[in-house]
Amino acid sequence: MTALLRLIGTGGVIAYRALFNWTTPAMFVGTLLVGPLFQLFFFAYLGRQLGVADDRFYIVGNAVLAASVACVFGGTMAVSNERRFGTLGHVLLSPRSRTAIFLGRALPYALNGLLIAVSTLTVSSLLLGLRIPVTALPGLLLMLAAAALACGFFGLTLGAIGLRFRDVWLVSNVAVALLLLLTGVNVPAAGLPAGLRAVGGVLPITHAAEGARRLVAGDGFGAAAPALAAELAIGLGYAILAAALLKLFETESRRQATLETV
Amino acid sequence: MSEHAIEAVGLRRTYRSRTGWLRPQRREVEAVRGVDLTVGNGELFGLLGPNGAGKTTTIKMLNTLLVPSGGSARICGYDVVTRTREVRRRIGYVFGGDRGLYDRLSARDNLRYFAELYGVPGREQRRRIGELLELVRLDGRDDDRVEGYSRGMRQRLHIARGLLHRPRVLFLDEPSIGVDPVAARELRQTVADLAATGTTVLLTTHYMAEADELCGRIAVIANGRIQALGTPAELRRHADGRRVLEVEAYGVTDRQLAAIRTLPGVREASMDVVGAAQVLGVQSDAGYDVQADVLRALDGVRLGRVTARQPTLEDAYVAIVNRVAEERPIEAVAA
Repeated sequence: MTALLRLIGTGGVIAYRALFNWTTPAMFVGTLLVGPLFQLFFFAYLGRQLGVADDRFYIVGNAVLAASVACVFGGTMAVSNERRFGTLGHVLLSPRSRTAIFLGRALPYALNGLLIAVSTLTVSSLLLGLRIPVTALPGLLLMLAAAALACGFFGLTLGAIGLRFRDVWLVSNVAVALLLLLTGVNVPAAGLPAGLRAVGGVLPITHAAEGARRLVAGDGFGAAAPALAAELAIGLGYAILAAALLKLFETESRRQATLETV
Repeated sequence: MSEHAIEAVGLRRTYRSRTGWLRPQRREVEAVRGVDLTVGNGELFGLLGPNGAGKTTTIKMLNTLLVPSGGSARICGYDVVTRTREVRRRIGYVFGGDRGLYDRLSARDNLRYFAELYGVPGREQRRRIGELLELVRLDGRDDDRVEGYSRGMRQRLHIARGLLHRPRVLFLDEPSIGVDPVAARELRQTVADLAATGTTVLLTTHYMAEADELCGRIAVIANGRIQALGTPAELRRHADGRRVLEVEAYGVTDRQLAAIRTLPGVREASMDVVGAAQVLGVQSDAGYDVQADVLRALDGVRLGRVTARQPTLEDAYVAIVNRVAEERPIEAVAA
């Protein structure tokens, strides 16, 4: 059991340092902290101009969404950078559980996402004057953590696709655009066609953003709990999907010789 | 304990690829066409062959990275297709070149990560990593990022990584490629030390001197099949009854080389480029003195040193590989 926890914990952290491109201070601050903040300001001011929704809608929604950047691209890097460094073959030669190796990799990205979401919410609330009830903070933290975890596993699912398709960045870029459009963060879900709303319902962020807005509105944890449960269920679903895809694509790569040249 | 560390019977691998969407074109390449091989426990075995001969594909099938299209293979008695986890616990894999390491991490952190992946118990990791860093002479630079390492240092780190979990079988796929002579010598010493401690080593290399010095037995693979197998001395017999003429020259054309190949008594002719010079190697039947004919064929070409010598393992290798290229039958050599 200790060995398994070491593989997930220590292994995950070392893999994060080895494979995540944005760990340098300049890249981390610029890409992960400042970038989402300006995106939030863009939609908040656009919302004010168009009168679609108030600041709270955009601030809370975009703060939750901010957790996704590190997770989606991090999950992709967790596999595609293995190809870049030529280490994928050595990882796949490990006799240990693939599920533990790769799911452990999602956790540092989820923590990273949580940090970014908290930072984005704090800074944007201070700058745009949003008041958040103190009693909502624990629930809000939980909601952001659930969103970050779900995004971490979503990112890993995209990374798993990288075992089969080399152009996985295409998938990540499309995924980020879909999260922006379909999670109800910037476009109210009611304004989307039913089909797109259904797709948004199975993406991470959607339920967490809804729950976080309820908490900030002062509706209480009871009102937000179903959204929290839904977000956690979505996260679990992606964890299972990622594990299944990793297994499938690894088996296929041994048969089809689709791995990197090692 | 299984009698053999490595057993392969009729091992085959076909690569299938498809290009284009509207008019897809399918291609099949038979990389390995029925390899039979046994390597004993503790043996240092060489697998030689030209580029594209099937060496790396064979190793990838033996180390579970590729599923064979046909035949079977066992490592320490475990089937490489159905018992992958057992096989992976018992093997190490080292390949040559700059890649295969996490550049942003130090040597120590690279080893820490792979120690987790390869199941080295936590309480043993620190000691084991320290031992290996000392073995490959990286202690002192162990906390530097790998991106600043020379190729020789990277190569030594590859070996340390391959040995982390004390594998019983070590696959070394061209480990000395691009390594300077001093580092290559150190590498050979490390490999020899490993074999002396009972680790089975399967080595592929393009350097005949390396194979000659290290390997107890050598298989020459070409065109996806084992073409000859034996001790270095036995393989040298493929060039028995021949002698070798080496001519240093400047400006030999392909046409002149082709003409030399047709001279009476000439069995093989090949050309290497060494610095600004070309070195023409001509193998001939021992009964023929081809020197005068060869020099006549090189009329007009500036020549340097001309020497005649006995054939080496490399000459035997060239003879075997060239025969395959010409699709001539290979004479059997006792193992």
